[in-house]
Amino acid sequence: MLRPATRPALAATRQVRQCAARFFSSPDTSSSHVHSPSTTPETNPAPPPPNSRSSTSSSKGKKPLTAEQRAFLSSALRVNQAGELAATLIYTGQTPPLVSRDPSLRPLMKHMYDQEAAHLRTFNDLIYRHRVRPTALYPLWSVMATGLGWGTAMLGKEAAMACTEAVETEIGGHYNAQIRKLLEMVSEWEAEGYEVGAEFRHLINTLRRIRDEELEHLDHAVEHDAQKAEPHWLLTGVIRAGCRGAIWVSERV
Amino acid sequence: MMRPSSISLRRPARQILFSSASTIRAAAPVPTAATHRSLSTSTSTGSGCTCANGSRRPQVKQTQKLQQQQQQRQHRNAYHSYDHPSSSAAFTPVEESILSAAYQHVPSHGFTPSALAAGARDAGYLDISPTILPEGAFALIRYHLVKQREELAARVSELFGGEGHVGARPGLSEWEIRGRVEAVTWERLSANAQVIGRWQEALAIMAQPSYVPLSLKELALLSDEILFLAGDSSVDPSWYTKRASLSTIYAAAELFMTNDHSPEFMDTRAFLNRRLREVNEVGGVFRNLREWVGFTATAGVNVLRSKGVKI
Amino acid sequence: MVARPALRRAIPSSRTLLHAESRILRSSFSTTLQLQQKPNNNNNNNNSVPEYAIPDPARPTHFGFETVTEAEKRERVAGVFTSVAESYDRMNDLMSFGWHRVWKDHFVASLNPGFSPLTSSSDPRAPQHILDIAGGTGDIAFRMLHTAHILNGNPDVRVTISDINPAMLSVGKQRSASLPASQQAALSFLEANAEDLTQTKPLGANQVGYSPTTGVPDESVDLYTVAFGIRNFSNIPAALREAYRVLKPGGVFACLEFSKADKHPLFNTIYKQWSFSAIPLIGQLVAGDRDSYQYLVESIERFPSQEDFRDMIVDAGFVVGGQGYEDLTGGVAAIHKGMKPRRK
Repeated sequence: MLRPATRPALAATRQVRQCAARFFSSPDTSSSHVHSPSTTPETNPAPPPPNSRSSTSSSKGKKPLTAEQRAFLSSALRVNQAGELAATLIYTGQTPPLVSRDPSLRPLMKHMYDQEAAHLRTFNDLIYRHRVRPTALYPLWSVMATGLGWGTAMLGKEAAMACTEAVETEIGGHYNAQIRKLLEMVSEWEAEGYEVGAEFRHLINTLRRIRDEELEHLDHAVEHDAQKAEPHWLLTGVIRAGCRGAIWVSERV
Repeated sequence: MMRPSSISLRRPARQILFSSASTIRAAAPVPTAATHRSLSTSTSTGSGCTCANGSRRPQVKQTQKLQQQQQQRQHRNAYHSYDHPSSSAAFTPVEESILSAAYQHVPSHGFTPSALAAGARDAGYLDISPTILPEGAFALIRYHLVKQREELAARVSELFGGEGHVGARPGLSEWEIRGRVEAVTWERLSANAQVIGRWQEALAIMAQPSYVPLSLKELALLSDEILFLAGDSSVDPSWYTKRASLSTIYAAAELFMTNDHSPEFMDTRAFLNRRLREVNEVGGVFRNLREWVGFTATAGVNVLRSKGVKI
Repeated sequence: MVARPALRRAIPSSRTLLHAESRILRSSFSTTLQLQQKPNNNNNNNNSVPEYAIPDPARPTHFGFETVTEAEKRERVAGVFTSVAESYDRMNDLMSFGWHRVWKDHFVASLNPGFSPLTSSSDPRAPQHILDIAGGTGDIAFRMLHTAHILNGNPDVRVTISDINPAMLSVGKQRSASLPASQQAALSFLEANAEDLTQTKPLGANQVGYSPTTGVPDESVDLYTVAFGIRNFSNIPAALREAYRVLKPGGVFACLEFSKADKHPLFNTIYKQWSFSAIPLIGQLVAGDRDSYQYLVESIERFPSQEDFRDMIVDAGFVVGGQGYEDLTGGVAAIHKGMKPRRK
């Protein structure tokens, strides 16, 4: 099933992840640390306890967020929630037509849907925890995403996969931009001698994990003939432009 | 046929990989700056050198601090960090010292310039000093609103049996949350009791056109606070409807309370309960309607699918 | 731009260094008292006064869009106001479409001079003293007296009108003749340079205030007001520091001045068009004095923005409430207020 040409791409993805792991793993960011001081019995892996104190003690403490940083974080979480909501609904819309045509796709679709649903839960929790306003266009995104998923699935398996490819490409790039920005914040704090809260290390790790899973979906889509969709350039072009527009809007509204 | 497709096949993935790689490059100096200096010098060529800029900051001057404070004030309802809390000061130290002293005079003088001037004297300032408060007597009202909202968290955590952090308890049932919303709202309303004789005139000032935006903003922040403290974790469109309806109810109850002479404001509490129940009933109707539409649509689609229609 | 302290501080140009040198040279021959007073100022402000806030007659500043020395600006501003003293109100009317009267009313109402808590009639510690700088024609001072004596029923309020220009002061003096006697008694006139209030020259006979030798003492003023005057000062930072010196702790600095309307681009364009093309022309036709009116619009354009001026006030040691200023009519004018903090 796996075409030879995709192998280098997968290998490269893996390489990136390993690189990332090498650079970012510090004693502070390991998940065991994040969970250990938890006082509330939580099954959800995401949230660090709000009143946790980082064990590393530094003289300068933690720097308060600036207004721009808070604005960035709010819009980032808001757009991520909207994006994951859309992703779950796209897969929800795609699954019945696809599976009825090719039942062998059922496990893959379920796997991808489950991951997206978990992402959505993560961001729902983060939005609530950090008291960010959810996007006001929630119903609009719901309708559009369902329509997009169902519509592309009706066009055929290739079109559906091309849709996944386009969406995950945009989302992957988007997560990368966020991670980069967060790492810049963290590096600035560290350069100034401030402590970095577990909250932030955890957020970065969460985003990185989700980004990798989205990239995995991209690989799956490419494996399943996304590139054979006709006309591929038009389909992906339109969907990617739509994604960018939606991201732009949900960052603001 | 095979070759061109295989090249184009790798394009999107590679694009992403490229940007991931640049992420790592940009981030490379981060951990290394402190620990592995040698590595950082080898990787931080070109634009990746972010730490150098950060360390060469000029000293924070008074004016910069002021600007920061104002920005904080503008974005009060943005991302709330637990590890890196923004300074939540809604008032500068001087404003705080005048207003807190003036607040003691509210029961006798009301939310008036007189209370402000008396407070300024108590705080060791002149009669003229409160004129630097940009909103005059409204500043005193805003002080009441902000302080009572900020104190709500502590009072509520006492109310609910000293949970360290009230909002962060997952798994509350909807029914429990409703009860908690009522309790928290009541807790906030009771805080008006000490100034209740003066609250009607305060409401009149808040209704003046120039103060309406700030008053509404405070109301929105309060209903957000109440729902958060009550543990309502919905982040779908009901986030908006819940806040809107709670704001309306709170404002109505507040007004009701200024005319309530029953012992311990029992009538107000009953009023609050009635309004909240009504909203829950109306909300319930809408929720049921939405569920019914969704169910019918899904059922319809499934029926069609079972008939062989390819949708 | 030249007067922006931030810029100055950031780039200590060779020119400013040169000036500093020349000042040292000059000071050895200098007969002006101004320079000898300087150490005094330093002590009062507690922190060392930055170089830009020390008046220096040779330092370049701006006169409208021209760059001149501080001394020259003082002379030329004096020229402008001597020539327009009689038609000063007309000038303000033209610049503000008559709104300046509303602004001044609002300015005084927002300061509410003479107001004291209901519990006692007035502050037992001292009567309220208002110093109205650049207030030659008495516009602000008369409103202050009216608010304090009549609206707030507090006769225990004194107002001193100070102006660098005797011509403007005599206009105010003439006008004050129509005030009630009690208000006239609470009024005094002072000829002084706002950058150095230690040297004052009383005008006329009814002096409640200061002898010419002492000037305005430290910490003697409750309220320092300057309406449509501060942009004509040669050295604004120096004037702000002088205001800080004369104010009591808790005393308020309040300034009403033309400002920037650039928050509303369309309105701003129209306003700029009006001020730069119409006003000098009207000045020529109505008063036969194009240059003075040209200076007026240019000096408004040159004056720092609301935020920059607020930062200058904070820089001089004042604390501000809220954002530190209030825009009037979309920012055509703005009120800045600052309070001298209590001694620690």
